[in-house]
Amino acid sequence: MNLGVFVSDYALTTDTLARITADKLGIILVMNGVYHAALKENGKASSLLDKTKNLYALSEDLKTRGIADSAVDSRVKVVTYSDLVDVMMNDFEKLAWL
Amino acid sequence: MSDIKLAFIVQQPQYKGETSRLAITHAIAYQTVEILLEDDETVTPKLCFVGEGVLGITKDQPAMEIYGITSTESHMKNSLLVDLEVLVCKEDLDKYGIPESDLPDAEDMGADVTIQVVPFAEIQKAMDEAKHVLMF
Amino acid sequence: MGKLTIGVFPGVVGNMSYDFALKIAGAAKDKGHDVSIWFSGNASGSVIAGQKHLKDYSTAEQHLKALLEKGVEICVCEACAVARGAKKDTAIEGIQWNAMHWYLAAIHGADRVLHIGGE
Repeated sequence: MNLGVFVSDYALTTDTLARITADKLGIILVMNGVYHAALKENGKASSLLDKTKNLYALSEDLKTRGIADSAVDSRVKVVTYSDLVDVMMNDFEKLAWL
Repeated sequence: MSDIKLAFIVQQPQYKGETSRLAITHAIAYQTVEILLEDDETVTPKLCFVGEGVLGITKDQPAMEIYGITSTESHMKNSLLVDLEVLVCKEDLDKYGIPESDLPDAEDMGADVTIQVVPFAEIQKAMDEAKHVLMF
Repeated sequence: MGKLTIGVFPGVVGNMSYDFALKIAGAAKDKGHDVSIWFSGNASGSVIAGQKHLKDYSTAEQHLKALLEKGVEICVCEACAVARGAKKDTAIEGIQWNAMHWYLAAIHGADRVLHIGGE
């Protein structure tokens, strides 16, 4: 399955995400989920970023939290709401919100 | 015939919040959606409980007596009465030490279907086959 | 262009998920997609008219009116709304009231569904 998953929290409430398999998986970081894009714990980036190469973080949510684009992991694409609509409507067949 | 398959994935336990209960009631609504669709159009949900979502779906819940609300057990029975396919993750029941015999059924009310305790792989399959996935 | 159906369950105040839902709905409509929004659970309380838009509080009314103006279809769960004291004659004009099967019907016709659960 071709699935785009919105991660809206930083705390790893991703038990389900860890179990789901998809032919193409996208992880879309929004709200507090954007911390996964930039924060390091004990020097390590979020393990979420290893799950797929299709990683996105919402620009508005990064900025609001004072996270500069330069602090975002290079694997993550920073997107606007407009970009996000294209990701949702064109790149993934199913969407899930965690 | 245009049938849309849906996977309702309940990950949250019952009672503190209402969205996990709303998953059940929205899934049950498949019985009446036809009034808003064309003649040959249908919606077929599978209601799946995973993770902490398997908590609070056991029988003998005195929710009405204590909280003054319909128990999840009643909602589960109603879902069986309308032939809704209900899947509960076996691995998660085992993880929390919940025996299958603690799950309700609606045989006494005339239901033809029962709750299916299945490996997560079956729930994954429900998600793969569904056109849309709704996480509760 | 496609059809996007968004199910919104979290309340408007105290959960930014609601704000996200309205923004993505507007962005999708601006790009030419058809958009339908279903409010249930705590989101249902957001359809009451005459909301006071206070600083530091997420607000709904003005944004909902703007979305309706753009042609976004919005429907609220009647039972959830009434339980929260909302009444049809004092609710935001243009918002539909229906039962849960409305959401399933909106899903039936959708290319994409984003169901935002939570409180």
